[in-house]
Amino acid sequence: MALLELSKIHKVYDQGKIEVHALRGIDLEVEEGEFATVFGPSGSGKTTLLNLIGCLDRPTEGSITFNGKALGEASKRELAMIRRFNMGFVFQSHNLIPVLTAYENVEFAIRLTKKYSRKQQHERVMKSLAEVGLDGLEQRRPNELSGGQKQRVAIARALVKEPKLVLADEPSASLDSTTSKEVLEVMLKMNETLGTTFVFSTHDPLVMDYARRLLEIRDGKISKDKKKERNNVSD
Amino acid sequence: MFLIKLAVKNLIRHHVRTIITAGIIAFAIFFYILLDSLILGMTDMSYKSIIDYQAGHMQIVNKEYWEDKDKLPLEHLIKPDSALIEKIISAEGFKAYSPELDIKAMLNNGMDELPVTVKAVRPDKFLDVYPIEDKFVEGSMCRAGEYKAVMGKELAELMKLEVGDYIILLFRDKNETYNTMDLEISGLIHTPNPNLNNNTVIVPSDIAGAALSTDNAVSRIIVRLDNKNLAAETGKTLKSQTDNDLGVYIWSELDAVSVAGAKNMGNSLVLIIILLIAGIAIINTVILAALERMEEIGMMKAMGLEEREIIFTFVMESTGIGLLGGIIGIILGFFGALLLVNVGMDWSAMLNMDMTQYGIPVIGTLYGSWNPRTFIQVFLFGVIVSMLSSILPAWWAAKKDPVKAIYHR
Repeated sequence: MALLELSKIHKVYDQGKIEVHALRGIDLEVEEGEFATVFGPSGSGKTTLLNLIGCLDRPTEGSITFNGKALGEASKRELAMIRRFNMGFVFQSHNLIPVLTAYENVEFAIRLTKKYSRKQQHERVMKSLAEVGLDGLEQRRPNELSGGQKQRVAIARALVKEPKLVLADEPSASLDSTTSKEVLEVMLKMNETLGTTFVFSTHDPLVMDYARRLLEIRDGKISKDKKKERNNVSD
Repeated sequence: MFLIKLAVKNLIRHHVRTIITAGIIAFAIFFYILLDSLILGMTDMSYKSIIDYQAGHMQIVNKEYWEDKDKLPLEHLIKPDSALIEKIISAEGFKAYSPELDIKAMLNNGMDELPVTVKAVRPDKFLDVYPIEDKFVEGSMCRAGEYKAVMGKELAELMKLEVGDYIILLFRDKNETYNTMDLEISGLIHTPNPNLNNNTVIVPSDIAGAALSTDNAVSRIIVRLDNKNLAAETGKTLKSQTDNDLGVYIWSELDAVSVAGAKNMGNSLVLIIILLIAGIAIINTVILAALERMEEIGMMKAMGLEEREIIFTFVMESTGIGLLGGIIGIILGFFGALLLVNVGMDWSAMLNMDMTQYGIPVIGTLYGSWNPRTFIQVFLFGVIVSMLSSILPAWWAAKKDPVKAIYHR
């Protein structure tokens, strides 16, 4: 059974007198452990698709099943719990909480799950931050970190609770190519070691190079769905 | 706990806004405490004025007279016989008594006339009950057997009268016949009681009694006790000992006391409005904070926080502001009230006007009163108002579509 199943998904935004069809009948299955990228021109519906997969929005038509649960029937609270326990998000603009340190931003995500003891929480937070190369910077606030470091905190926050699915919307958009590579390497490592499923939305060819499945979206439809081996991007 | 920690950190992060909003609450609380202290002080002075210059601690009156007391009739008068006086003197906490006959009359200065209340009293007894000896601004108290009168300085000024001038009092006696008294003004008084200052003429009861044909009967016997707290108990005892047709009315049963109490309630309402304004400041702050932190709210929702948890975070922030404002407010209020209680405020000197003209029973300095209950009430009220007023804007923020919130720019 696929981790994620989307069937005939339509999303229409009502903007006064105009209706904008962001998605026009998407059918998609994502298996556990995939490292997939959705790409396409601006306005093609990439972010809308990610928001629907991430239970942040509901489709106008069609059904989404995550981990065997039909999201259309889920209440707001159930959707919040799915996000809390099974999903991690990485956004282009990091969206870190500015008053919290790097450590606390990551800690926040794991504390919400209430699955671990204080000691386990601490160990996991420290491990996650170390894995994204931020050891020694735990007590820094977001305004004391570079763009790349902030994005790494956001990744550590998304991964610390070991979710089934990580959704990353343009994760490399505000990063230089070296930092982008470092960040993608971290995510790839998580994918390979923990089997975490990743779905990206991007314009960035580098992210597409890392991906093992490419989903091209145009005019609200998936126009290409191609599985591939990871390109060699070490240089 | 993490959400409380987040709320505290947000308060510190936006310390300027926190301090300004807490300052508004603190000012409202400080102002409330100060006004409450002043109003309480003024109420106490009103009661003191009623007791000292109008009604004593209690009065013994014929029950039927009491029904018509505002008309000051010459019916249903009482005879202060020795048995009754004996009972009054032996009452617990007894200090002094003063028989008093009150009538309506026209005061004539030879040119103009003005309706006044005439208090026919035994001067020595009157001074025992009412502490007006130091309230004479000119002249002195009239004496028994003398055709002399005492009146308020304001009334004398209005009628262009001075000590030594003669007045005519025109009235109807017990037989409904018009009669007059020619009296020389022996003294002018200025008291905190506007009734006594503006429309009362005090005359010896032996002179008035003869002119009124009342045969030594009086309207009421005013009784002064050691302190006002004894009045209820002593009044009850005395009531059980006196004739059935006599009533014993204590100071707290007077209409004027109810009016003073009602004024107090009205002022409290105004003060509650002041604190509600502080609530509006909180609403404004929460809306501002929510707008500023829209992306944060979106991210929190993406992380799986429920709406109630986001509301809780904002409510905790506002409660923190309320607590801070409350603490500052009661500290400031404590020192403000301390000053009012010990130093007081001389409104007459500050405003250069006589406050008794406006019915405010204050001559000289107005002192505040301590009311510890107000400190607790206003602190709790401030915190609760802060907490409650944040719920709606916090709910508004938490309800935001997570997608719109995350991509909010």
